[in-house]
Amino acid sequence: MSKIEEVKAKVEAGKSKLVPGLVQEALDEGNTPGEVLQAMVDSMSVVGDKFSAGDIFVPEMLIAAKAMSKGVEVLKPLMAGDGSASLGTCIIGTVAGDLHDIGKNLVSMMIESAGFDMIDLGVDVPADTFVQAVKDNTNVKLVACSGLLTTTMPALKEAVATVKAACPDVKVIVGGAPVTPEYAAEVGADGYAPDAGSAAVKAKELATA
Amino acid sequence: MLTKRQNLMEVLKGGNPDRFVNQYEFMDLIMEAPMDLPLAPAPGTRVKNKWGITFDWPADQIGSFPMHDDEHKALKDITDWKNQVKAPAIETSEEAWAAAVAHANSVDRNDKFVTAFCAPGIFEMTHHLMSMEDALMALYEEPEAMKELIDYVVEYELAYAKEYLKHIQPDALFHHDDWGSQISTFISPAMFDEFILPAYKKVYGYWKANGVELIIHHSDSYAATLVPEMIEMGVDIWQGVMTTNNVPELIKKYGGQITFMGDIDSGRVDFPGWTREKIYEDAKKACEECGKLYFIPNLSQGLNISSFPGVYEATSEVIDQLSKEMF
Repeated sequence: MSKIEEVKAKVEAGKSKLVPGLVQEALDEGNTPGEVLQAMVDSMSVVGDKFSAGDIFVPEMLIAAKAMSKGVEVLKPLMAGDGSASLGTCIIGTVAGDLHDIGKNLVSMMIESAGFDMIDLGVDVPADTFVQAVKDNTNVKLVACSGLLTTTMPALKEAVATVKAACPDVKVIVGGAPVTPEYAAEVGADGYAPDAGSAAVKAKELATA
Repeated sequence: MLTKRQNLMEVLKGGNPDRFVNQYEFMDLIMEAPMDLPLAPAPGTRVKNKWGITFDWPADQIGSFPMHDDEHKALKDITDWKNQVKAPAIETSEEAWAAAVAHANSVDRNDKFVTAFCAPGIFEMTHHLMSMEDALMALYEEPEAMKELIDYVVEYELAYAKEYLKHIQPDALFHHDDWGSQISTFISPAMFDEFILPAYKKVYGYWKANGVELIIHHSDSYAATLVPEMIEMGVDIWQGVMTTNNVPELIKKYGGQITFMGDIDSGRVDFPGWTREKIYEDAKKACEECGKLYFIPNLSQGLNISSFPGVYEATSEVIDQLSKEMF
């Protein structure tokens, strides 16, 4: 197995202590940083698919994402200023009135693993704060809004409407337990995902459309 | 007419109930027991409990949350848990238990089960202490330390159970531990078998060995894949079972070994604009699909309350109405 194949396998298995060394070895073998990064992105795509299919669970996804981030630390100094490696910036947050962060954090990890630079606004985020974050950051391609409570669905709707009105070029993706594809379409979101693995796929699709 | 207790036992044993068991009616929860409940008590409050976990309930929210920023996280390094986690002392004095004893003595045990309450659960305690992400990753990265921490929480629960049994002699235990999201369990059944099942076999086994007749476990989530484990650990009733579990299918498969309490999702009916019609629609569907045995219609909420005033009571009225229509 080539070193780059080993990187892929160990990211998928969540071996965060082994991945940095393997990333270095893959570079030493002559792979470019971009190729090694792509290998890890591909691994996380497999992880996301397995999670969406119910074959793996949250801990497996968490340790895989951690392994990838350890690998990315090795690549970062080599890729500084290389914007081509990024799919753009994604602003993420849980909407106003809602403090749930676990699902949002998982989605953030998976979208980051797909190749985005993430700006996490946390929980209980007012609609205007999403807009301000789009203005304050460069190359924002996507805003991801999470809501877990039935009671905060109006806040989700407001967040989507506010972002779409102020930043028409930015795509908005929504998710959370009570959100359905129909609701997402009704409130004007560009995309919906039922879980963190699918969110990464949808984010990539929207940003590269 | 059967008493509430008799009617429940008919449902559990596959006998002849004369009506639906109506939500929590068979439990008389002894909430006065001196347990260090972890949650902030009301909107606009923040408390640090005796485990060192800070809970915050913002004024405009419907519940409290453990805080896990750097300043508030109680357990920052699982490998150092022995220095960072200290269980509170269990109250043993007659005085501390007096209110609970008085309540228990007032209950007609022919009609209702005197029910001990225990929350948070063992899994919940691990992520309350250290955050969900840290706790789930530690199951892989530091499994021995996690097993030690879980054992420590089990010892605390057993010490609490011992006092409870000494003072109250409850008939039932209502125990919380959320094991999943709406659509999935948090961890795989294999991981659950390694870490969580042995802990609950000890805890539930102890309550049952000391005369507790019923174990009711709350998890308002998906957990259909963990039902065999629930049965193995001694759960008699899974409360909070959500519609995403396909409850009618579970009843077909496991009825007689365990009873399912829920199938009316609080998230669908308990909101500011709630209506009796919507509750009736969901409750009727649940009762028609799940049937009269091994099933208790109930909101998925983990206590005999609702988030918005009137929903719990309206649900009880609807279930009474359904009993009249269907029995």
